[in-house]
Amino acid sequence: MSRPETRQWQPGSGPGREPETDLAGLLALVARGDHQAFERLYRQLAGPVYGMVRQVLRDPAQSEEVAQEVLLEVWRSASRFDPARGSAASWALTIAHRRAVDRVRSENASSVREAKAAPDLTAENDSVSEAVEASLERQRVGRCLDSLTELQREAIKLAYYGGYSYPQVAQLLGVALGTVKTRIRDGLIRMRDCMGVAW
Amino acid sequence: MVKTRRDDLHALSGCYAVDAIDETERADFERHLTQCSSCTDEVRGLRETATRLALAAAVPPPPAMEQRVLAATYRTRQLPPLAKHRADPARRDRRWVIAARVARWFTGPALAAGRRRPLMPRLAAGIAVVAVGVAVGLGITQAATEHQLDNARASGTAIARVVTAPDARTQTMRASGGGTVTVVVSARYQAAVVTSRAMPALSGSRVYQVWVISSSGARSAGLLDRTGAATPAPSLLASKVTPGDRIGITVEPAGGTSRPTTNPVVLMPVSA
Repeated sequence: MSRPETRQWQPGSGPGREPETDLAGLLALVARGDHQAFERLYRQLAGPVYGMVRQVLRDPAQSEEVAQEVLLEVWRSASRFDPARGSAASWALTIAHRRAVDRVRSENASSVREAKAAPDLTAENDSVSEAVEASLERQRVGRCLDSLTELQREAIKLAYYGGYSYPQVAQLLGVALGTVKTRIRDGLIRMRDCMGVAW
Repeated sequence: MVKTRRDDLHALSGCYAVDAIDETERADFERHLTQCSSCTDEVRGLRETATRLALAAAVPPPPAMEQRVLAATYRTRQLPPLAKHRADPARRDRRWVIAARVARWFTGPALAAGRRRPLMPRLAAGIAVVAVGVAVGLGITQAATEHQLDNARASGTAIARVVTAPDARTQTMRASGGGTVTVVVSARYQAAVVTSRAMPALSGSRVYQVWVISSSGARSAGLLDRTGAATPAPSLLASKVTPGDRIGITVEPAGGTSRPTTNPVVLMPVSA
């Protein structure tokens, strides 16, 4: 359940390196005020949190600000993580995604981000090992995205990476509301099965 | 919005998992989740799937962010675990009372009502939660009514931005007459968050008034009550504060005055 799902990204997790305690275990330590555990947690989560927030917000300064708030929130509410309800990565990244989306919607900030919703997967990889680790997950996700219908894929990307609400997605894609709802759901189910996501 | 039918609600699981729904629908859907265990399972799987989309987008974060976040953890109090039962608030430390109320926003009414917890926390109040939590971490122990806390949500976003700003600086000063005042200043947001602690309660209908004092004079930033508590939020936000200004607090008649009429109990320079 609570697998260290960021392993693919984490630069210190390659073969021959010290294995990371899983995120759920780290969160339990963090909940007791363990700053060292938080530091290790940070190293696993900061990349995905920042990267995803940046996909949604685009603006680097705003993204950094939101990512910072999210990571501090992880510290604050670590005791609220319940492994019975999902993985630690999913808990933290849900906080991050909601926060990013809230920021977009509260600011109505279409002007500060580009309309383009596809992930900019090449940006900012100045570290070779990180790029390699992240690219494994990207390949996996990319392959499974490719297995969707075009409408499913576009709807999911606009909603998740673009931070659009489903009525906005419907408008952008020129399809009915009900269609978007079912495409997003069906698409995610297909992705889930394609990636063999355990839950 | 027209009442959504049950089938429609069920189809929203995907949109819920990627946060593509508005507040109203989110609340409806979370209510639905408390009664639908198959939906809960489905949402969990779809959330995990969405998480993979986030992992695929990982990029190295700005290097300076790590130190800022780690430093912030040292001045941020953590939330206690969710209590299984509600205890008598009068028997607990005020900070825990506030934390428990924060917790109730955080998890939504379902938990407060004793029903099954919603799958994911309500995060709309998250920013206010940070703000209040930081305020709690700074030692703010004033009583806060539910009403005050609700209002605090409105100003919470601005307060959270200031206290988590990369350039936030915390200064604490003892007030003449007792108590301490903590000011968190962000030059970037040109704002200061003022909180007081253990200020002597004022007699009669007098209040504490906060001022931003610059070369052009003193401007009111708002009132603290007779115990030094900010209303509606636990902390008071002073805007248009720039380095070189000073934050002052004076004792004034109820309702405040347009300019200070007494010697300040606190006068704190805002450092750059």
